[in-house]
Amino acid sequence: MTSVKTFAWLTLLLPLAGCLINGLGFRLLRGRMPGYVGTAVLLGSFVCAVLMLFALQDLPEERRQVEAVAWEYMTLKGSVDAKLMLLVDPLSVFMTVTITGVSTLIHLYSISYLSGDRGYARYFSYLNFFVFSMLLLILAGSFMILIVGWAFVGAASYLLISYWYRRETATAAGMKAFVINVLGDVGLVLGTFFIFRGTGTLDFLESFERVGDVSSGDLTAGCILLLIGAFAKSAQIPLHTWLPDAMEGPTPVSALIHAATMVTAGVYLIARMWPLFEQAPNAAAVGAIVGCLTLFVSATIGLVVTDLKRIIAYSTMSQIGYMVMAVSSGAYVAGIFHFYTHAFFKALLFMAAGSVIAAMAGVQNIDRMRGFRTAMPFTFGCFVVGGLSLAGVPPFAGFFSKDEVLAYVADRGDWHIALVVVGYVTAFITAVYTFRMIFRVFFGEPSPEARELEDGHLHHADVPTNPVSGEAEDTDVGFPGPEHHIAERALPMRIAMGLLALGAIVAGWIQIPNVTEALDHFLEPTFAESRFHEELHPSDALTFGGMALGAVLSIAGIAVAYLIWMKRPAIATTLRERFRPLHTLFANKWYADEALDRLFVRPGAWFGRFAQHTFERVVVDGLFVGGPVGLVRAGSAAVRSRQSGFLRAYAALMVLGLAGVVLWFLLRA
Amino acid sequence: MTLHLSIMLWLPALAGLVALLVPRAISGWVAFVGSLGALAYSVALLVDYDAATGSLQYVTDETWIEQLGIHYKLGVDGLNLALLALATLMFSACILWAALEGDHRRERPRQFFAWMALAHSAVLGALLAQDLLLFVLFFDLMLVPFFFLTGIWGPGPDRVRAVTKLFIYTLVGSLLMLAAAIATGVLSSVQGDQTTFVLSELEKVALPEGSQRWIFLCFAAAFLVKMPAFPVHGWMPDGYRTMPLPVLAVFSAVLSKVAAYGFLRVVTPLFPDASADFQTLMLLIALASILYGSAMAFTTTETRLILGYSSVAQLGFITLGIFSLDGDGAQGAILQSVNHGLVTVPAFFIVGLLAARAGGSQDLRDMGGVAFRAPILAALFLIVSLATLAMPGSANFVGEFLILFGVFETKIVIAIVAFTGVLLASVYMLRMFIRAMHNRVGAGVVPTDIRFADGLVLVPLVAVIVALALYPQMPLEKGQNTIPPKVEEAGRLAQPERQAIR
Repeated sequence: MTSVKTFAWLTLLLPLAGCLINGLGFRLLRGRMPGYVGTAVLLGSFVCAVLMLFALQDLPEERRQVEAVAWEYMTLKGSVDAKLMLLVDPLSVFMTVTITGVSTLIHLYSISYLSGDRGYARYFSYLNFFVFSMLLLILAGSFMILIVGWAFVGAASYLLISYWYRRETATAAGMKAFVINVLGDVGLVLGTFFIFRGTGTLDFLESFERVGDVSSGDLTAGCILLLIGAFAKSAQIPLHTWLPDAMEGPTPVSALIHAATMVTAGVYLIARMWPLFEQAPNAAAVGAIVGCLTLFVSATIGLVVTDLKRIIAYSTMSQIGYMVMAVSSGAYVAGIFHFYTHAFFKALLFMAAGSVIAAMAGVQNIDRMRGFRTAMPFTFGCFVVGGLSLAGVPPFAGFFSKDEVLAYVADRGDWHIALVVVGYVTAFITAVYTFRMIFRVFFGEPSPEARELEDGHLHHADVPTNPVSGEAEDTDVGFPGPEHHIAERALPMRIAMGLLALGAIVAGWIQIPNVTEALDHFLEPTFAESRFHEELHPSDALTFGGMALGAVLSIAGIAVAYLIWMKRPAIATTLRERFRPLHTLFANKWYADEALDRLFVRPGAWFGRFAQHTFERVVVDGLFVGGPVGLVRAGSAAVRSRQSGFLRAYAALMVLGLAGVVLWFLLRA
Repeated sequence: MTLHLSIMLWLPALAGLVALLVPRAISGWVAFVGSLGALAYSVALLVDYDAATGSLQYVTDETWIEQLGIHYKLGVDGLNLALLALATLMFSACILWAALEGDHRRERPRQFFAWMALAHSAVLGALLAQDLLLFVLFFDLMLVPFFFLTGIWGPGPDRVRAVTKLFIYTLVGSLLMLAAAIATGVLSSVQGDQTTFVLSELEKVALPEGSQRWIFLCFAAAFLVKMPAFPVHGWMPDGYRTMPLPVLAVFSAVLSKVAAYGFLRVVTPLFPDASADFQTLMLLIALASILYGSAMAFTTTETRLILGYSSVAQLGFITLGIFSLDGDGAQGAILQSVNHGLVTVPAFFIVGLLAARAGGSQDLRDMGGVAFRAPILAALFLIVSLATLAMPGSANFVGEFLILFGVFETKIVIAIVAFTGVLLASVYMLRMFIRAMHNRVGAGVVPTDIRFADGLVLVPLVAVIVALALYPQMPLEKGQNTIPPKVEEAGRLAQPERQAIR
C-alpha cells in the first residue's frame, strides 16, 4: 500500500521536476541538455508507473483502490471536502503506464525533431508540464483535483499549440483551444455542483457510494454537464473545432497531446464516472450518440482535407468517437483498450508525418507530396504499419480494439445496433482515407523534394513560410528553427518510431477474444460492480462475425483507395464533380466553424461593441456622470482659476457637506 | 501573544510623517519600512489568531466621544484577518515599487509617500474598526489621499476631470453612508437606552424592516460605487487612466475590497431583513457587472482599462458570493477578495512595464512580441494571467468555486448565467497576454526583460500567488468560523425552507 502511494507520487512529480528544471534553468542548460533532462524524467516516471502497477497487483483484488492524501485543499465545515489526493486503481494505473510510456517515446523523438529550435528548453518545460497535468487528471481522487488536472492540460495544450507564437495563426488557434477547453471546464464544474449537491462529498469513491442520494434529475443534468467537459476535451461534436486548428503546434505535440493522451481524457472521464452514468441512462445515451456522430462526420472530412496533419487530426476525432461511444454504451474495457492501441498507432502516424513534413521543409499539403517511398524507406514503413493498424487490418493492434468496441456495443442490442452499423461504415471510410494519404504521399512520381532527398540532400525552403497562411516566417527568433530532422538521419527519432511501430503491431494481442483477455482481467476490480460489465458478453458468433466483417471492410477500403488514387487517378476528379455538394460540405468541415462563429462569437463581439461604443458613452458617461459633473462644473466655475484652488474647493465642499449632515442628524437625535 | 492593533494602525502614518522630514532620496524607504512593519504585524496576526473560536480578538476598546456613543474600538476576526494581510502586503509592494522608480521620476516625493502612508493607515483603520462611525470615518479618510495622489502626480492633462468624477461619485456615496450610519445608531438607541455605534452592540438590536431598507440602500450605494459595480462605474475609466501606476495598483487591489468587506461587516449582519429583501436585486447588479465588465474588457484596447473592467467583473463575482447569503459563497467572496488583490497589483505593474516597452503607449495595438526577449516577464505575466482568469489550480478558482456554489444553492439560474463570466474572463485575459507578449513585435516596441528592481517586487508577489494556489485551505480555515455567521440570519430570512432542510 505504502509503496503504491510512493510510486504514485513519484510518477506524478517527476515530470513536474523536469518542467521546473527546464523552465528555471533555461539559461544554464546548453545544447540538447533540456531534451535529455525532459526525456530522462519521463523515463523515470514510466519506470515508477510500472512499479506502481506491480505493487498494485500484489494487493488482493478487493483492495486495489488506494487513496493517497497529501493535504487538505478546500475543506469547510459542513460543506466542501476537497483534499489534494490521488486514487490509484487498475484503471488509473493502466492509463498512467500507457501515457508515461508513449510520452517517453515522444520526448525522445522531440530531442532530435526540435533541436535547432531556439525555444528548445521552453518546449521541454511545457511538454513535461503537460505530462504532469495529464497524470494529475488521471490519478485524481476527487472532483476538485480532477478539475485542476483538467484545466492544467488545457493550459499546457494552449501553450504548446501557440509554441511558435510569432505565427498569428498559432496564437489564434491556441486561444480557440483554450476557450473551448474552458467551456469544458465550466461543464465539469457545473456537473460537479449537481452531483455534489446530492452526495455532499467531492471524493470519488464516496460519491460513487452515495450516488443513490442524488435525485435523478440532478444526476442526469450533472452527467450531461460532465459530458460537455468530455466533449470539449475530446473534440467531440459540436465542440471539436479547436482540434484541427491545434495542428499549429509542433508535430510531436500533435502526437502526444492531440492524439495519444489529452484528447482521450473525455473517454477516461466517462469510464471513471461509470457509477454515475449507469444511473443516468439518458445522459449515457447522449454520449453514445454524439460519439457515433463524431466518428462518422470526422471520417468524411478526413476523406477530402489536403493538409497531412489535419487528416490525421480528423482521424483522431473519429477514433475518439469510437471510444466515447464504447464507454457511453457500457463497453468500458473495450473503450480503454481502443485508447491504448490508438495511442501507439496514432502517435506513430504523427511522427511519421512529422518526418515527411520535415523533408518538405515544413509544407503540410499532400497535393505537393509525392513518391517519398524510396527517399524515406523507414518513415514509409512506419507510416504503413500505423496506417494498417488505423484501418483495422488483422493482426495489427487497431483491428482487435475496434472490433471489440463494435461487438460490445452491438451486444447492447436495440438502437445501439444502428450505432454499430455507422461504426462499420466508418471503418471502411477510415481505410480509404488512411490509404489515400499513403498512396498520395509515398507512391507515384517523386516530387522535387523527394528527388532532392534521394540525391542525399534534405530540402530547405529559401523563404520559410507559414504552412497555413503562406506568410513569410519571422526568422529572427529562430523558431520554427531553420533545421529540419527526418527519421532516416536521427537515431532518437528512429528508436521512438521503431518502438511505437512494434506496439502498433503487437499491442492488440493482450486482448484477443477467447485467447488472452488480459486487459479484461486486469481492469476487473474497477468495473466489478458495473451492471454492463456483468451483462455484456458478445457471443462467439457476434465476436468472430464482427472481426471477419471488420477485416473485409478494411481490406476493401484499401482496395478502393488503391483504385482511386493509384490505378485510375481520373476517378477522384469524376467523383468530386459528381458529388459536388457533398464534397463542398465535407471540405468545409460541415460548416461547424461557421455555425459556432454565427452563434457565439459574433453575438459576443456585437455585445462588446455595443457596450463599448454606445452604452458606456451614452448611458454611463452621459446619464450617470455627465449630469452631476455638469452641475458641479457650473457651481465651481468661480473657483476654477487654478488647479490647486480647484482641489481645495472640493476638499472644503466635502468637509462642509459632512459637517452639515452630521449636524442635521445630531439635531434630530 | 498581546498584539496592539493601534500600533499596527498608526505605524504607516507615523512613517509617512517621518518621510516628510527626511531627505527626498530616502523618504520612500522610510514609508516602505513603515508599511513593512504593518506587514510584519499582519503576518504575526495570521500566525497567532485563534481560528477555532472565530471570535473578535486583540480588541482595543476606548470610549472616544461619550455623548454620542462613539468608541475607538479595533479588533481582528476571521473576516478581516486575511484582508489585513492583503492590504499591508499590497501597500508594501506598491510603496516599494514607487520608491524603486526613483525620485527623478516624480516631483515632491516626500508628500507623495506621506499620502501613500496615510492611505495605508486609513485602509487599515477601515478594516480594523469595530465601531460603525469609526468605520465610516476611516472609509472616507482613505479616499482623501487618492484625490491628491491623482490630482497632483497623475500623468496627463485629464487628471482634473478624472478627480472631479471620482470625487463626485465618492462624495455622494460617502454622504449617503454617513447619513445611514448615523441613522442606524440613532434608530437603534430609540429602542435601547444608550446611543452606541459599536457594531457588536448594534447587531443585538433588530431595526424595523422599513428603516433597514433605506439604510441598506444607502450603504449599498456607497459600497457599489467604490467597487465599482455596473452601472455606477462611470468614474473608473478616467480614474484608471490618470492615476500614477503604484497608486492605481493599490487603489484597485485594496480599496474595492474594503467595500466588499463593508457588506459583510456592516450590511448583512446589521440589516438581515433588507439584505434578504434586496438579495435578487444585488445578485442581478453583480451579474450585470460580470457580463458588462467582461464585454468591455474584451473590446477595449487600453491595457489599464482591460484590468479595470476585469475588476468590475471580478468584483461582480465577489458581490455574487456575498449576496448568495450562503456560508460557502461568503467565504468564497473573502477568499476571492484576497486573490483578486494579489493578482491585480502584479498585473498593473506588468502593464506598466509593457507600456514602457511600447514607447509609453498603453494601447494593445502598439504592443506585441515581447516574450522572446523577455522570457521572465512573459512567465510572470502568464502566471498572473492564468490566476486572474481563475484557472483551476489557482486559489482564484477555489474562491470562484465557492462563490458559484453558494449561488448555485440559492439561485441556480443566476449561477448558470454567471458561469459565462468564467468563460469571458479567459477571453479577455488571454487576448491581452497574447497581444502583448506573442505575435509579431510591435512597431515601436523595444523588447527587454525586467530589471532586477522590477523582479524584487514582482517575484515575491507571484510567489505568494503560487503558494496560495497550493494551499488555499490556509485562508479558508482562518475564516470558516467567523464568516458564515455574518450571512446566516439574512440567509435564513431569504430562504427559510432551505435552512429547514439542513
